[in-house]
Amino acid sequence: MRRLAGTPLAIAGSLLLVSLFLDLVPGDPVELMLGEQAPSIDRQALRHSVGLDRPWYAQLWLFLEQLATGQLRSSLPPFQRKVLPQIWAALPNTLLLTFAAIVVAVLIAVPLGVAAASRKGSAVDHGAMAIAVAGVALPRFWLGPMLIILFAIKLDWLPVSGAESARHLVLPAITLGTALAAFLSRVTRASMLDVLREEYVTVSRAKGLSAWAVLWKHAFRNALLPIITVLGLELGALLGGAIVTEKVFAWPGMGTLLLSGIEKRDYNLVRAVVLVFTLCYVAINTLTDLVYAAVDPRVRHR
Amino acid sequence: MSSTVIGRACFVLAALAATGAPLVGCHPEHSREGIVVLVESVPDSLDARLTLTTVGQRVAQLISPGLVTFDDEGQPVGDLAREYRMLDSRTLELTLRDRLTFHDGSPLTSEDVKATFEGMISRAVPSPRADKLEAIERVEVTAPLTVRIHLKRPYAPILSELSLGILPRSRALPPDAAKQDREPIGAGPFRFAGQLDEEHLLLLPFEGYYRGKPRITKLLIRTVRDQTTLVLELLKGRADLVVGAVSPPLFPALLADGRIRIRSRPGSAYAYLGLNLRSGPLADARVRRAICHAIDVEPLLQAKLHGVAEPATGMLPRWHWAYAKKNGCRHDAARAVQLLQEAGYAGPQAGAEPPSASLASPAPRPRLHLTLKTSTDRFRKSIALVFQEQLAAVGIDLEIRSLEAGTFFNDVRKGNFELFGLVWSQVLEPDLMRWVFSSSNIPGPENAFGGLNRMGYRNERLDEVLDRATRVEREERKQLYAEAQAMIDADLPCIPLWHERSPAVLSARLQEYEPSPHGYLQPLAGAREAAP
Repeated sequence: MRRLAGTPLAIAGSLLLVSLFLDLVPGDPVELMLGEQAPSIDRQALRHSVGLDRPWYAQLWLFLEQLATGQLRSSLPPFQRKVLPQIWAALPNTLLLTFAAIVVAVLIAVPLGVAAASRKGSAVDHGAMAIAVAGVALPRFWLGPMLIILFAIKLDWLPVSGAESARHLVLPAITLGTALAAFLSRVTRASMLDVLREEYVTVSRAKGLSAWAVLWKHAFRNALLPIITVLGLELGALLGGAIVTEKVFAWPGMGTLLLSGIEKRDYNLVRAVVLVFTLCYVAINTLTDLVYAAVDPRVRHR
Repeated sequence: MSSTVIGRACFVLAALAATGAPLVGCHPEHSREGIVVLVESVPDSLDARLTLTTVGQRVAQLISPGLVTFDDEGQPVGDLAREYRMLDSRTLELTLRDRLTFHDGSPLTSEDVKATFEGMISRAVPSPRADKLEAIERVEVTAPLTVRIHLKRPYAPILSELSLGILPRSRALPPDAAKQDREPIGAGPFRFAGQLDEEHLLLLPFEGYYRGKPRITKLLIRTVRDQTTLVLELLKGRADLVVGAVSPPLFPALLADGRIRIRSRPGSAYAYLGLNLRSGPLADARVRRAICHAIDVEPLLQAKLHGVAEPATGMLPRWHWAYAKKNGCRHDAARAVQLLQEAGYAGPQAGAEPPSASLASPAPRPRLHLTLKTSTDRFRKSIALVFQEQLAAVGIDLEIRSLEAGTFFNDVRKGNFELFGLVWSQVLEPDLMRWVFSSSNIPGPENAFGGLNRMGYRNERLDEVLDRATRVEREERKQLYAEAQAMIDADLPCIPLWHERSPAVLSARLQEYEPSPHGYLQPLAGAREAAP
C-alpha cells in the first residue's frame, strides 16, 4: 500500500523534471520544424498558437489540463495531432517486445545459471559465465544489426525490421533480452549456490532423490526469490533498452515515439511518453511485490 | 496490417531462436508485389502547402504536382501547365494541359488553380509557403484552361513558387482544407490509398495521370529511421528505392551485393562552411580566404563522398542557368600561410618553413584557434576531422564541436559560432542568394531570428544587385546574378565545399528509373517493376 501511495509523487516528480529539462535543452520546436530553408514565416504566431511562448510551468499546466480532459495534443504547429491515439498504437508494441524479451531472458538465463551452479568450477560454469559477461557487454545498437546480418541476410530466415508478423518479433526480442539474460544468469547462479549450501538440500540428497529433482524441485524454487527481485528491478532498464532496440528494428513502439518527440521537440508527446514509462515502472514494482508474495508465503505474513 | 496483431506463436519462435533450435516455419519471403520506397522520417504532412520536411515534400509532389517543375538546369518548366509567359513584368499567363483530372475524378481547371493560390494568400491554411506568394495580387481566370497571375510589383522569383501542388477547389479553402494533410488529393501520377500505420503509406497508380498511368502496380512508402537498418533492408531485398538517405560511406557495402545499383546525376544541394563575419578573426577577409585556400575538397570527394558530389565554387552549381564562372580559391597552403601572416597571425615560426614540411615535423604552435560547429551526424563529423587536419597544416587549430540538432540550429541562428558546417538541401531559385546574403536577412529581433544570413554578411552593393534581380527579366537577371556571385566570391562569407547529388539506390526489381537531379520521386511515374 505504501508503494501505491508513492505513485503520485513519482509521477509528479518525473513530469516536473522532464518539463524542466525540456525547457533547458536549447532549440525550439518551431525552429527545428522549419529547419534550414524556411525564411520569413511568422514564427511568433506559430509559437503562440501552441503556447510555446509561455514559461515552462505554464506549458506543463496546459499539458495537465489537456490530459485531464482527454484532449492532449502535440505541441507542434500547425497540425497538433492528438497524442493519446499515438500512444495507444505504440504501447502494446512495446509491452509485447518487453514481454518477449523477458521470455527470452528467462529461457536463456535460468538453464544457464542452474547448470553453472550445479557444476561449480567446471568448464560448464566457466563457459556459462563467459557467455554472461559477453551478453552484458554487447551494446544493443551493435548486437541488433549483427543479428540482422546473420539471421535475416546470410541465413535468410527472418525479416530485417518492422512489426508485421510474429516473425518480426524474434530478433528484437533476442536483442533486447540478451543483456538481461546475461545479468539474470549470474544472479541465478549466485542464488542457486547459496541455496545448494543449505542443509535441506543435503538432506534431500541423502533421502536418495535424483540430482535433477533436488536441483529443480527443492533448490531452484527457493532460489527464485532473488531472481524475481532482479527481474522486477531490471524491467525499468529494459524499457530504456527498448528505445535503442526499437530504433534499430524500426519497431513502432514507445521508444520510437519518444525519439521522434525529442527530435521534433514535441514537448507534450515527450511528457506523455515519460508519464507512461513512469506508470509502467510503478506498476512493475507493485507487480514484483505481488509475485514475491505468491512465491514466498513468508512475505505474506509480514 | 495492424502492427499489434502478433499472436502467441512469436513467443514460441523467440524461445526457439533463443535456445538455438532450428526455426520451424521460417522460410524466406521473396514474393511480393509493388515497389517499396524507404524514407528516413515520417512525412510530417502530405499537404504540399504545409509540409516542412524534404520527405514530406517529395511524397506530396508525387500526389499533387504543381503548375511548373524544374528542369535539369533548375529552370521552371511546365508540369500541369502546358506553357507560361510573361505578358508584362507584373502579369503572368499560364495555360493548363488538356483533360487534367484529380484523383477523385473531377476535372482540373483554372478555377482550381485560382482557388489553390487564393487559399494560400488568404491564409486559409497556416502554410509556411504563404509568404513567398505575397507578391501575388490576384489570380484571374480568363478561360477554363487559362489563368493570369497579377503581381503587386515585378517579382521574377514567383515562377519558382508556382511549383506549389494544385488542389481541387474544395480542398483549397475551408472547411475541407485540413483534409489534405492526411488524405491528400491531387492530379499526380500516384494517388493516396491509405496510411496503414504511422510508418507505412500506400499509394496506387492513377489512371487519369496526364502522362499515362504509371506501370508500377503499388507503391509502399515506409519509414525506417535507423540508417544501418535501411541498408540492411536493401540488402535483404525488401526495399526497392531509397533517394538521398544513404550516406556515401555505405555505398561499397551496397554495391558488393551485386544486384543493387546506385544512380545519380549532378545535384543542387550545397555544402558549405558558414563563417561569422560579425567580429573576431573571421571578420578579416584575409583569414577567410586563407581558410578557403587551406581546405582541399578533392580527397574528400573521392574518399568520403564516393563520387556523388561535384566541387562547388559558390551556391549555384555549374549546370544552373544563372551560374557564373568565378575565380574561386584553389587549394594552396603556401598562399594560406602568407594570408594569415598578412592578417597578423604570424605564429612563432613566422615564415620559417613551407607548410608541407610541417606534416613531417612536430606540429608548430598554432597561429590561430577557431571552433567549427557541426551536427552529431557521424558522416559530417568525419568530414570536419579532415578539415581539422588540413587547417592544422597552415597553423590553424580547429576545434570541432558536434551538437545535437536543436542546439546546433539555435547557435547558428543566434550567431553563436565561428564556423559552422551545413548543407542547403536544394538550390534552384537563385533568389535564395538574397535570402542568404542580403544584409536585411541577418537574424535579429526584427525577423524573430529567422533570417537566413547567419554569417552576418553586409555588402550594400550586393543588397542592391540582388534586389534588382527580382524585378527584371531573365537575361538581365542572369547578368545581375553573375555580378552577385563575383562579389560573394570576393568576400567569401562562406566557404563553398561541394554540390551533393541525391543518389538513388535501386533494387533489381525497379527498372527504368531515371533519377532526378533534384532528388524528386517523380521518376517513379516512368519506372517499371521487373517481373518477379
